[in-house]
Amino acid sequence: MTGSATYLYAVTRRVDGAAVAPLRGIGGAPLRVVEAGELACVVSTVGLDEFGEEPLERNLADLAWLARVAREHDAVVQALAELTTTVPLRLGAVYVDDGSAAVRVARLREAARATLDVLDGREEWGVKVYAVHPTAAAPTAPADPPSSGLEYLRRRRGELARRAVDAHALADDADAVFEDLRTVAVLARRHRPQDPALSGVKQPMLLNAAFLVGRDGRPEFHHAVDLLAQSRPDGAVVLTGPWPPYSFATLDDA
Amino acid sequence: MSESFELAVIENRNSLVDLLDRVLATGVVLSGDVTLCLAGVDLVTVKLRALITTVREGGDG
Repeated sequence: MTGSATYLYAVTRRVDGAAVAPLRGIGGAPLRVVEAGELACVVSTVGLDEFGEEPLERNLADLAWLARVAREHDAVVQALAELTTTVPLRLGAVYVDDGSAAVRVARLREAARATLDVLDGREEWGVKVYAVHPTAAAPTAPADPPSSGLEYLRRRRGELARRAVDAHALADDADAVFEDLRTVAVLARRHRPQDPALSGVKQPMLLNAAFLVGRDGRPEFHHAVDLLAQSRPDGAVVLTGPWPPYSFATLDDA
Repeated sequence: MSESFELAVIENRNSLVDLLDRVLATGVVLSGDVTLCLAGVDLVTVKLRALITTVREGGDG
């Protein structure tokens, strides 16, 4: 497939084209601002050889490609978020041309305006909590070999029951942490816990959450995270951010 | 960084996985007319599963 298309990074209210001009998008392409009513679409040109439906599907499964494009997408969104309130799009929104992107965005203007109002003056923080619990960490005492098959089964049942209780306790713990931090945030949302194969962290992830926090509420939020971290083993709590408000950029596209 | 106090737990925004959580699973889904398939959340799940397989096969620890 040959030809080019329009890649949409984010939607904002009016944004100064001159401020956007020095920024570069995917593949180093210059950015453009396309008006969609009172909203602005920030776009760049991409090749269909990479971003056509079929090549894109292939590329998304290529970690090196995905890593590069995700960082380029993020760099644009991050730069925009520093200029103005920004509603990021999910990676991979590609349109036949600028006009087509503008029409789609204009259709959602009511929802976009409402989302922009929620995001004004706010930023996203990520909190990851790992399960570093003593029973799992401590090597189990080398027990005597089971004296009989029955004894083996009894021990085995006990072990399974203990694990079930642990799993339950861990889930409750994650819920409690989430609810606790949510009280010092404007909005909160849970992501799926990360796979150890991707994150490279062996401990199971208990909680992977995002919080929308007012910029003026940052110290209070950080304080709450700090208290949480102090109550747990080193490395069990990780704070990331500030992020552009990715996790809270939703438009009800009914 | 303009931190009000030292936070031992803060991590720089350099983790690819944290970024992928966000750019693949969140953000506004506005179906493109070129990439209709991306509107489905399921695709993202499938892609991530494929990635995880890639990483495992690559033996990257």
